[in-house]
Amino acid sequence: MLSLSVNGQSYPVDVPDDMPLLWVLRDVIGLTGTKFGCGMAQCGACTVHLDGQAVRSCVLPVGAIGSRAITTIEAVGNTPSGQKIQQAWLEVDVVQCGYCQSGQIMTAAALLAHTPNPTDQDIDTAMAGNLCRCATYVRIRAAIKQAATGKAEVLQTIDSTPEGAAS
Amino acid sequence: MKRFLLVLVILVLIGAGAYLYLNRSDSSTGTAPAIAGAPPTANVLARGEYLTKAADCAACHSVPGSGKAFAGGVPFRLPFGTIYSSNITADAATGIGSWSDDDFVRALHDGIGKGGEHLYPAFPYSSYTLLSRSDVLAIKAYLFSLPKISQPNRLNDLSFPYNQRWAIGFWNAAFFKSQRFQPDAAQSAQWNSGKYLATALGHCAECHTPRNAAFALDHSQEFSGEVLQGWRAYNITSDPVHGIGAWSDGDIASYFSTGHADGHGSASGPMAEAVENSLRFLQPPDTGALVAYLRSAPALAGKDPIAVDAKPAPALASSDYASSGDAQADAQGLKLFEGACASCHQWNGKGQQTPYASLLGARGVNDVHGSNITQVLLHGSSLRGEGANVFMPGFGNAYSNTEIAALSNYVIGHFGNKQGTVTPDDVAERRKQL
Repeated sequence: MLSLSVNGQSYPVDVPDDMPLLWVLRDVIGLTGTKFGCGMAQCGACTVHLDGQAVRSCVLPVGAIGSRAITTIEAVGNTPSGQKIQQAWLEVDVVQCGYCQSGQIMTAAALLAHTPNPTDQDIDTAMAGNLCRCATYVRIRAAIKQAATGKAEVLQTIDSTPEGAAS
Repeated sequence: MKRFLLVLVILVLIGAGAYLYLNRSDSSTGTAPAIAGAPPTANVLARGEYLTKAADCAACHSVPGSGKAFAGGVPFRLPFGTIYSSNITADAATGIGSWSDDDFVRALHDGIGKGGEHLYPAFPYSSYTLLSRSDVLAIKAYLFSLPKISQPNRLNDLSFPYNQRWAIGFWNAAFFKSQRFQPDAAQSAQWNSGKYLATALGHCAECHTPRNAAFALDHSQEFSGEVLQGWRAYNITSDPVHGIGAWSDGDIASYFSTGHADGHGSASGPMAEAVENSLRFLQPPDTGALVAYLRSAPALAGKDPIAVDAKPAPALASSDYASSGDAQADAQGLKLFEGACASCHQWNGKGQQTPYASLLGARGVNDVHGSNITQVLLHGSSLRGEGANVFMPGFGNAYSNTEIAALSNYVIGHFGNKQGTVTPDDVAERRKQL
């Protein structure tokens, strides 16, 4: 029987050592905010924090975790950087379909925790492993900057009003 | 003319005599040194199971993931064609169920099949000849206790003259000697056990010792490394720079039992299979004996020696999450690493999810030819063990040869602090091998 520390709470789980953390979180503990994407650490949808570091839970054998603290999307809002990221996410309206977003937010929150004022290069490097099929990348970068600086980012918008339509 | 014929007859007789003499079988039973996991007092099946694992029969005779243990069919792509391993289950029609004890002993000791045919030396009888008869029969008893699987052997696909089995008799005359293990009284009991484990059972030399033009082992270069089927088996001599002389006993033992040693990387490819199927099952005294024996292997630099940079400047200048110190790096390689690799391996090479993802000190990233790096990138890597199920996906279907080459060279530069020489053509060549 393993004991996992998830979001500040201790969970005894009776699972094989080599079960990926993602399965334990979703199927055993019932925290379904963390998503399954590719299952091979290539898309970032399953990102959680392990002692504050962004890790891919789909390839992390649960037996390798020990007493390290796991934080998931359900509780990242309780951390200072997570709180800022989530607020900026809402203000910039980053989300499109949303499937990758819990992973995006976890990676972004970890970035902000260790690099409070990231450059564009820092953001691109940190976020490169998180894929978004709706291509919300521009808004993700803007939201991270807004979360870091507290200043509203101006996004280029395209006026989609059809020509001749009543305004 | 008469004299000429006489000389000819004499020469033929001398030749035939030499052939027969050099092909003579050693019929002695031999005595194995103490093996902790297979004591003489143990049940024959328990001994047989341990010895079968220590001899890693599964590596060649079981297709991974097929569920058909010891039914053969594993391809060996050699420079002169493809050999398929045979069914060694006790199925009478397609396996070795009809083999007598003497048939089985003759195969392992002399490399001759039940029908009297020469077996190809891909089957390491040149190592197994050292096994004691009692150990050989324990292995047979264990194999015969397993489920019989009906699966006809696949025909080898070899070019002339390699498809002529009789010719192996001449190869044997030149390169093979039927003989049992001879303990060296000048060495400790532990060393002798280790030698038996490394030679008679584990046949380490089959991959780690260079081969000559006739594809026979060059024992003057024992354990100094060789490339087989596109994978490089590293130098495991006691050379402190190019071999494993600088590894601690604990490092080597850990590599055997888990496939990983901190600061030295992780096993992949055929070595990961050796750990998974064989080495991890060794009991600690046997692992210790194997380490003690390898420690004594004379230091050799070997061909294309690899010098590991344990403190690669670009990786050490980087943090867990940001790159630094490789301004000269190939931009394409860096971009690919950033998107696909950094989240597990990290920019400082520490390895995030698991210590198995650590790249620092690994010989793969220090080999400028990038043999194993490209193999792992193309085909991925996996290692299943007790409490460990480690894998890395393959990128062969996702990336072009140019991309794999760029990524390989970036990894060699960043984690080995060396200029990699991998070209897209190298990658194309290695794609064909697995």
